[in-house]
Amino acid sequence: MANIKDRYAIVGVGESERSKNSGTTPLHLALDAARAAIQDAGLEAKDIDGFMSYSENDSCTSHQLATYLGVRPKYVKDIMGGGSSTEMLIADAIGLIETGQVQTVLIYRSMNGRSGVRMGGGGWDVNMLQSAIEGGSFIIPYGAGSPGQWFGLFATRHMHETGLTKEHLGHVCVSFYEHAQRNPKAYFYGKPLTMEEYLHTPALSTPFNKHDFCLESDEANAIIVTSAERAKDCKSRPVYIMGIAARQCVSHAHYWSDLSEVASDYVAADVYKKAGVKPSDLHVASIYDCYSWVVLRQLEAYGIAPRGEVGNFVAEGNLRMGGKLPSNTAGGMLSEGYTHGMNNVLEIVRQIRHDYKGTDRQVENCEIGLCTGWAGPDIAGAMILRN
Amino acid sequence: MGYQKPIPLKTQDNQPYWDAADRHELVIQKCESCQSYSHPPGPACAKCGSTELSWQNLGSEINGTVYSYVTSYRPFLPGFQDDLPLTIAIVELEKTPAVRIIGNILNCTPEDIQIGMPVKMAWQDITDDRSLPQWIPVS
Repeated sequence: MANIKDRYAIVGVGESERSKNSGTTPLHLALDAARAAIQDAGLEAKDIDGFMSYSENDSCTSHQLATYLGVRPKYVKDIMGGGSSTEMLIADAIGLIETGQVQTVLIYRSMNGRSGVRMGGGGWDVNMLQSAIEGGSFIIPYGAGSPGQWFGLFATRHMHETGLTKEHLGHVCVSFYEHAQRNPKAYFYGKPLTMEEYLHTPALSTPFNKHDFCLESDEANAIIVTSAERAKDCKSRPVYIMGIAARQCVSHAHYWSDLSEVASDYVAADVYKKAGVKPSDLHVASIYDCYSWVVLRQLEAYGIAPRGEVGNFVAEGNLRMGGKLPSNTAGGMLSEGYTHGMNNVLEIVRQIRHDYKGTDRQVENCEIGLCTGWAGPDIAGAMILRN
Repeated sequence: MGYQKPIPLKTQDNQPYWDAADRHELVIQKCESCQSYSHPPGPACAKCGSTELSWQNLGSEINGTVYSYVTSYRPFLPGFQDDLPLTIAIVELEKTPAVRIIGNILNCTPEDIQIGMPVKMAWQDITDDRSLPQWIPVS
């Protein structure tokens, strides 16, 4: 297999407006995000010859997006997928560029995640859910219809085994909400969270209260991937992909009975090997944060803190600015917004480009960053980026 | 008013499990090729892909321990509004620890539930002809 280290780059990022009621369609949102990313890269729409998206049947198609950008690309692709899809699609894009199929690919996620189809349910037909969800007949009749409950089962066991506490979950939330105070576009800008307030918030579903759940938003994000060679022609500072990896482990997508391992455990070894770096080389991170606990479990998986010491790591403030690994510095999906992972990708690209230089939002001298995706314990992706 | 909550849908792959539940018995799919249990059941073994599957009848005296649990204070699905707080647990079977089954823990307050607590399977007759396997604490 060809070593692709540093041979491909993210050269543009962009987003639509973020709201809880966009009043428009995912196609309009995707067009806004795509135009912003194309402008950021200093390209023209016709320079994009591949379009890809992921969704849960709640978006527009790549074909539609290309059509209304006035582009007739060589390749369009829409996959069904969750929070590790960005990394998987970037890997696909690299493969297509490597084999000469296309030269420059735009990848997007567009959703009316609050006013339209809500990820956490609401209005679903329960019999449809039983059929649509793998193993659904074994969870839906028991009232387990939310990812918060499925992930909660994992979290309860993991916290029991490793000594993580509710307060440790709270440190993830408080750290990310603190980042959001530097991001005027974050939902919770102007709404910081104290540990006292966090601990007094009643549980929605143990071990989680509302702060441990990610947001829901109407929003589209887009990124542009091309070769390092072509990146030289772009206006933006390229962010090079040092390594990228994904995989499935744990059987079934929703009914989890083996809680001893997660896909991120395997992705971690693979991505570090490909990138040729180790956890201590990282300066900044975007860690998939659909739930606070998911961050803690990934800190363990990616070797950022050893199993059993992750709680102390976050309690020491290491996810905050000035900590060992400032993470989700726009506020993450817990407090900025939710586009199924892609808003965290945009933020780490901007950090590594030093877009925030001269402000208190910039992670000083950050050169290498880790971006993780987590569709669930069963499937994960990650990439390591550098400037 | 009839039963308001979702009733398990019988499918090509899971019908023996739910038919047994209706008789207040537990059957589990097993792979004859790699000898591992397969739960939830499927069209092939989730460990090795074999279609050499059989059903093991574990009877009606099913004991286990709580492997993990959550307690929900909001109904995340329609029909559960009168069941709050609702505890959902993964239970490890005593005789076949490789099998872990998700269900609700009944007759128990959330404060009393902990990992490792012993429970036994009890069947809730939810309609005239359907029963739902559940868990109750072993006193």
